Amino acid sequence: MDEQRRHRILMVSDFFYPNFGGVENHIYSLSQCLLKLGHKVVVMTHAYGKRTGVRYMTGGLKVYYIPWKPFVMQNTLPTFYGTLPIIRTILIRERITVVHGHQAFSTLCHEALMHGRTMGYKVVFTDHSLYGFADIGSIHMNKVLQFTLADVNQAICVSHTSKENTVLRSGIPPEKVFVIPNAVDTAMFTPAKDRLSSDEIIIVIISRLVYRKGADLLVELIPEVCHKFPNVRFIVGGDGPKRVRLEEMREKHSLQDRVEMLGAVPHAQVRSVLISGHIFLNSSLTEAFCIAILEAASCGLLTVSTRVGGVPEVLPDDIVVLSEPNPINMVCAIEIAIAMLPNIDPHAMHLRMKNMYSWHDVARRTEIVYDRALRCSNENLSERLTRYLNCGAWAGKLFCLVMIVDFLIWCFLEVFQPSENIDEVPDISILGSPNEGSSQHAP
Amino acid sequence: MAEGGEDRRRRWKWRKVAYGGMQPGYDDNYTDDTFLEEMVMNANVVKRDVSKLMLDSISISQYLSIVAIVCCVWTDTLRSKIDEKSLLVLDLCILALGLLTLQVSCSIGLLLRYIPNVSLFVGGLYVLAPIYQTLTRSISSDSIWALTASLLTLHVFLHDYFGTVSRSNISLNSSIVASVLIASRVPSRLHVFAIMLFSLEIFLFAPLVTNSVKNYSMKSHLCVSLTLATTALAMVFQLHGLLFVLFGCVLVFVSVACPFWLVRLQEYKFEINGPWDEAKLCFDITE
Repeated sequence: MDEQRRHRILMVSDFFYPNFGGVENHIYSLSQCLLKLGHKVVVMTHAYGKRTGVRYMTGGLKVYYIPWKPFVMQNTLPTFYGTLPIIRTILIRERITVVHGHQAFSTLCHEALMHGRTMGYKVVFTDHSLYGFADIGSIHMNKVLQFTLADVNQAICVSHTSKENTVLRSGIPPEKVFVIPNAVDTAMFTPAKDRLSSDEIIIVIISRLVYRKGADLLVELIPEVCHKFPNVRFIVGGDGPKRVRLEEMREKHSLQDRVEMLGAVPHAQVRSVLISGHIFLNSSLTEAFCIAILEAASCGLLTVSTRVGGVPEVLPDDIVVLSEPNPINMVCAIEIAIAMLPNIDPHAMHLRMKNMYSWHDVARRTEIVYDRALRCSNENLSERLTRYLNCGAWAGKLFCLVMIVDFLIWCFLEVFQPSENIDEVPDISILGSPNEGSSQHAP
Repeated sequence: MAEGGEDRRRRWKWRKVAYGGMQPGYDDNYTDDTFLEEMVMNANVVKRDVSKLMLDSISISQYLSIVAIVCCVWTDTLRSKIDEKSLLVLDLCILALGLLTLQVSCSIGLLLRYIPNVSLFVGGLYVLAPIYQTLTRSISSDSIWALTASLLTLHVFLHDYFGTVSRSNISLNSSIVASVLIASRVPSRLHVFAIMLFSLEIFLFAPLVTNSVKNYSMKSHLCVSLTLATTALAMVFQLHGLLFVLFGCVLVFVSVACPFWLVRLQEYKFEINGPWDEAKLCFDITE
């Protein structure tokens, strides 16, 4: 790959390994595939416990754990300008061309995008979640998102519903928003070698047991299903504040032998839990994409899910049964799924999933977004400030003020610590020369 | 190339799905005509009617009048215009009137159960009166007036004007503390007892009584409100001319201006719903 087309990407988010979740997985898998395409990828996140400094992961993925402690829900304290010096140093050291932030409620991501724009870098933002418009928390988050998205070059959403939501929340023009879904590592999630016996039907649930994931729906649903279908058994993996309620339900209806509670399941063991079941049940009340469904389908399980957010877009209709999020409809959906089971071939489903979702495809599509971002014209401060001014009568002026101060601090840093004095890091490629890496995946 | 794209586009119809990679002929930032089709605006907006709002606001004006009357009685007592005997008579009259009104809506049995409670309450108050009298001796009167005024304002703002069962705790407590503060400034023990009884009767039982009247019939509710408002206005007028004008303005503002204002504001209502909303559970969660 020629040096012109080779991007040097900085992925920024508060959420990264060793923490685990959809965003962490997304950043890691995307970075790996971008590395294989011959781009340079550096990840920046905050310190996790004693893990600070620079680490290398598989494939030479360089990770900066900057020495900022998280203060709530793995988020760093929003300081606006506190991270500017270190982000500036990383951007210059690594000769970054594109800054790519992930997740709307990561403060580090917002700060990095703001500093990136101040320093004239091209920035891309990926939104991984859905937000409403009614409560105070959402109103605040939407304003923050509006601030960040007012000046990003391109944005990415994980589903079409998420795109609609993001466009409404931030007022960004829809043509700037790309829809690139998540994917699943199909090599890791393979079906069981032998088909399970169909005398007993096992329904698997793997999710954090919290309100938003519909744990209360499960409490209503499980006794109904157990009562209606005597050959159904449940395996519930996951932990959370609602686990007590599920256990109470199990006691109350004496279902100890039919509902197995596994507690938290490490990601490495998710497959082994999944392949012990026939049907995967997702009861989320809101979901931008839902990777769990993909993992289940890749293991050849038939999915029953609530029809919320971006879930209807994830799988074709013949391998998922959708239902409204209420217990009565969900029992019907499970009934339909049980009737469909004899026609489901897990291995055929796995092969289909392999064709439908791949991180390499995601990386190639993200590459196009980076190309677009780089083609955007450079704008000076005054041009950018007018865009911020349009964000609202009061908020617009506040946003402008924040950006002007950021600009001034940057100018101060340029004098105080000139960029010539910052050493550039030589590129080390573990995969061999970038050309070799990219040739395997060239179209 | 462009023609080829057009050709493919005609064959492949864009679908709102995330699987299967990039859809042939469409970029990832393609925005279909169906974009935001499922968005619903102002789905849960209630159409409001000025006359109904005005009728509802009467409850607020009525309670404001009651608070104004209490304030006037307090001032008159502090200025020794009302002696303790007539205050006690007033207390008895209010108690009798209140019980009589409640009798219309409640059963006699329920009222009989009230009587031991009420007598215990009155007895306790009588015993505690000396303590109340000296409670705030070390505090200057100015602080007491300022504190009472702010507590009453808080009470009026937080009062639950439409409920009977669940009442706002902060509101009730602030009104009682205000009563205690005032009681600690009157000359004799009997005075303290009489004025405390008066305040508590009003703050504890008036919402109950007015609500039962309202539930009984709208006409009587209007009559009671009008009487109370007139009484309050007359008493405030005797107190101070400017206060009278101010109080009159507040009543007009609450019962006439506010309903119109609220209806006017409805046109700015902008509520968005769509598939991205968190689903609401259709059953109650019993923890």
